[in-house]
Amino acid sequence: MRSKGKSAIEKVFSRLTSKDARSGDFLWASPDMVYVHDVLGPMMLDSYRKLGNPPLKYRGRTLFVYDHIFPPKDSASANNILSMKDFASLNGVESIPAGEGIEHTLLIERGDITPGMFVVGSDSHTVTAGANGAFGAGLGSTDLACLLASGETWFMVPETILFRLSGKFNRFVTGKDVILNIISRIGVDGANYRCMEFRTESGTHLDMDERLAIANMTVEAGAKTCFLPPDVSQEKLMEIQSDEDARISEELSVDLSSIEPEIAAPYSPGNVKRLSDLQGTRVNQVYIGNCANGTLTDLKEAAEILKHNHVRGDVTMIVVPATRSIYSKALDLGLIKIFLDSGAVVSPPTCGACAGLHMGVLGHDQVCISNTNRNFRGRMGDPTSKVYLANSYVAAAAAVEGKIVNPLEVF
Amino acid sequence: MGRIFVFGDDIDTDVIAPGGYLHLRIEEVKKHCMEAIYPDFWKDVAKGDIIIAGKNFGTGSSREQAPVVLMELGISLILATSFARIFFRNAVNVGLPIGTITGPLNLKAGDIAEIYLEKGELIRAADHKAIRFKAPSGALADILSEGGIIQHTLKKLGKLPDDKH
Repeated sequence: MRSKGKSAIEKVFSRLTSKDARSGDFLWASPDMVYVHDVLGPMMLDSYRKLGNPPLKYRGRTLFVYDHIFPPKDSASANNILSMKDFASLNGVESIPAGEGIEHTLLIERGDITPGMFVVGSDSHTVTAGANGAFGAGLGSTDLACLLASGETWFMVPETILFRLSGKFNRFVTGKDVILNIISRIGVDGANYRCMEFRTESGTHLDMDERLAIANMTVEAGAKTCFLPPDVSQEKLMEIQSDEDARISEELSVDLSSIEPEIAAPYSPGNVKRLSDLQGTRVNQVYIGNCANGTLTDLKEAAEILKHNHVRGDVTMIVVPATRSIYSKALDLGLIKIFLDSGAVVSPPTCGACAGLHMGVLGHDQVCISNTNRNFRGRMGDPTSKVYLANSYVAAAAAVEGKIVNPLEVF
Repeated sequence: MGRIFVFGDDIDTDVIAPGGYLHLRIEEVKKHCMEAIYPDFWKDVAKGDIIIAGKNFGTGSSREQAPVVLMELGISLILATSFARIFFRNAVNVGLPIGTITGPLNLKAGDIAEIYLEKGELIRAADHKAIRFKAPSGALADILSEGGIIQHTLKKLGKLPDDKH
């Protein structure tokens, strides 16, 4: 068995541990980078104190990001950020200036996350690193505290499911629909503990924003990590992706041309329905933007719909560019003006409403359609509220009509 | 000895520890544990109680508040058909005992049972019937038995006095 080629994730763990790592192995490893946000950061610091505030032993790169409740909504959230900044300056940890953007999108945009890296973060959506051919895994706060103190943390090397993507997108179909389609096929625990690796057949290319949408929601199928082919040379790609003779636990084919706009109905990202099944569903709020779908592509898609339309009077529409740079480009392209003129609210980059934290929290029985990644019960606010997950065209179209419609109807 | 609380499939971290309270202290977060599906859970649950659930327990976020609030409320064991990866990992790291089960257990909410972690067994008080479960093994069992990864790391850093092991 050991003579076989390696999967991409086995290659990464072999590099990190300088051993022949294979799926199923339990090992201690030191990731290339660790990033921590302001919701789990303060708990991580509590754990660090329990360890006796030892000097940082972790030799990779540590980054603190303040994006979950930024700008702070109350003194508790403000003090959380202050406690992290104090720790960062005392321990030589790099802080990203608050307001730069949402971590997963921002760190790829800044070039911090590069193909072949292994990164961990205090957030389940650290899997988004897969959009740039890096491996990301989410960890909890105590885990991270112990990693910083001891220099390493434990991992089981996951098995790999390989997805072969072919064909081209239909009109109004995006990366979001690809991953919703896949989750509906394999289920919300279909990739539990596994690495979801994607390979594109010749003639199929996914741009970064499409890859972000797909990578981000692999955790909604339970994936530990994921890998999509980044924009690198064929030689580099061969080096970091799974070998042809690697042990793969399951293989699935996905023909992009067979995918239609998909919508996940409450209360699970796996509760995926056809757009036509949900047409006419009333919505009170539309939310565009999160760690995967606040991209320039998403903003362009929403603006395409809103250009000659107006947000219905009884609907709140919130647009959140994922990073400062995306916001700035959207300004240059006139997208922000389109949103404002159509009656939408534009917010600075923040995780805010996506996780029910602040700015856009839903009240009793309110219904939201969003291009975010989770629609769990109470996710965006009151336990009676409901969230539908869709691509940016579909979400924006719902803002115009106050109900779920085919984007063609308002285009 | 604890009472059984029964939950279904895919109990997610937003239900266990809702986002709107995560910036507050754990004493506050725990009052909202499970509130979307069981508003009085935090009042009803007592030290030693046991959760039995279906597949994919703890799906969603990496928020460690999820296993921590359950522990703070007194839950001494969670048995599920399967666990979501990060929840499983966080539970081991904070020292919350978990185990996987197969098939129907014939246990209902309100039943009283005694836990024998080392043997991977629950004994129902009413009829002394034994119910088996699979607890984490190997290195993960060691971390759990040490009370979590903090203790494990303190040992590694040589910060625990010898008489403690």
